[in-house]
Amino acid sequence: MLIEYDENNRKHRLIRSTVITILSLATFLVLWWIATIVMNDRNFPTPDKVFGALWNLLLYGDPIGGHSIWEYIAVSLNTFLNGFGLALVFAVPLGLLLGYVKFLREFTAPWIEVVRPIAPIAWAPIFVLSFGSQLGPALVVFIGIFFPLLTNIIFGVQRIDKNWLDASKTLGASQGQLFTKVVLPATVPYILNGIKVGLGVGWMCIVAAEIYNKFGGIGQYLVDMVNGGLMSNAFAAIIIIAVLGLMTTGVAEYISKVVSRRMGMDA
Amino acid sequence: MSKQEMVIEGEKYNSKDRIRADHTDLLYADIPEGEPLLKIENLNVIYRTDDKETVAVDNLNFEINKGELVSIVGPSGCGKSTILRCISGLLQPTSGTIMIGDNKCTTAGSDRGMVFQDFALFPWRTVRKNIEFGLEIAGVPKEERKERSERYLKAMGLSEFADSRIHELSGGMKQRVGIARAMIMHPAVILMDEPFGALDAQTRNILQESLVNVLQKSPRTIIFVTHSVDEALVLSDRIIVLSKRPATIHKIFKVPGEHPRDRASPELAALRKEILTYLQSQNTMNS
Repeated sequence: MLIEYDENNRKHRLIRSTVITILSLATFLVLWWIATIVMNDRNFPTPDKVFGALWNLLLYGDPIGGHSIWEYIAVSLNTFLNGFGLALVFAVPLGLLLGYVKFLREFTAPWIEVVRPIAPIAWAPIFVLSFGSQLGPALVVFIGIFFPLLTNIIFGVQRIDKNWLDASKTLGASQGQLFTKVVLPATVPYILNGIKVGLGVGWMCIVAAEIYNKFGGIGQYLVDMVNGGLMSNAFAAIIIIAVLGLMTTGVAEYISKVVSRRMGMDA
Repeated sequence: MSKQEMVIEGEKYNSKDRIRADHTDLLYADIPEGEPLLKIENLNVIYRTDDKETVAVDNLNFEINKGELVSIVGPSGCGKSTILRCISGLLQPTSGTIMIGDNKCTTAGSDRGMVFQDFALFPWRTVRKNIEFGLEIAGVPKEERKERSERYLKAMGLSEFADSRIHELSGGMKQRVGIARAMIMHPAVILMDEPFGALDAQTRNILQESLVNVLQKSPRTIIFVTHSVDEALVLSDRIIVLSKRPATIHKIFKVPGEHPRDRASPELAALRKEILTYLQSQNTMNS
């Protein structure tokens, strides 16, 4: 029985995208498997070994360290959320200000351009040394999220329709009111998009952030496993980080989409 | 729209009442209808770029009387909108003064409301919240805002769209919101910058009629920039015809006839011909 695919049918579209995703993941596993056979390297485990390790990790935890995997995840999540919170607290007001005040934007542009390309991993030893093992790792995540968030917000403020500001002025808005009633709401979709991008980069930083921890989270576990030659477990940790990243960015993307649409600004 | 729906701002305001940012017309309550309200004196606008100066507006003088609608027409690119932006305070003229009554206008304020060609509505607000924006800015209490916006929603035929978002509206509906948003503030003068320029011909006609209707119930002082001579003839008490750039006044025409006007009347036809012939001559000289 063959049914013709109908682009206008919601159910058809859903089935189509699900089938494609499943095929894609299956193909990935097959390619991975072939690659391990071709390379024949004990540092590069086959998928079954990795998923076996992941299964054991989820069920029994880490027998060497004596911790459950959820403890590692909790520590990483804590580090991540602290870094994210810090990035929000600093990037949102700063981005709005730099987007709005041309002089400040021009004045700080060289600083941003110098600091931004530095990889978060380069900051890790400095931050951990200067700020300790609590704040240090969070700051590495912070650096990762801060810049994409900041640049998105600055871009958003500059993209504000000048007519909105003009209209507000002819309706009697003061400078402060222009900011709260126009600049802030008009930038919300860009803030949310910045968060989405920033969260992705943030998870890329988690391993770098936890390298120097005594009891770090999932990132530190990964480093320990690599050092101990337990590659299946290291790959399992990578999968856990990937899933955490997918979940947070997925939530962020959903919120961003819904809010932008509700605001009539999903252009 | 039926006549009953057109009742707007029924109550009278006493000039001794508190003058607020949302009722700047009260500042000029002592000036009688038909007497000069807005005076433009020696208005000059010169644009400077690195290697040249362009005179956009050349020593312009005119007066707008209270309660009249004056259109400004002129050849394309003659600086009509520039003049309006100067009056609004959004653009600083090179020299010249803009006076409302005895007050000199320098920066933009709620005494000069504006309607924009591309609407300039806030997409994150509903229709009602767009109309209430100025009242909110002025600190008008919520209940009063609601009551007043209700009247304008009704007058502009927007009641059923009160809680819609801007992107759900047609172009004509959007500009109804734009007009309501400016009118609800009771500014001393309303500036309209080609407000119907982005609309199709039919919608344009409908909105012109709506505007005439609303103004009959609630007279306002309006400067209306347009490139459509027909539109100017239907709406205006007077028409200022500008020369090509740099803008100087060619002639000011008084438009005969009570509202609503018959677009095809012979008087209007004669006037139309005269203005169009002049504009044509200015455009050919240009090219």
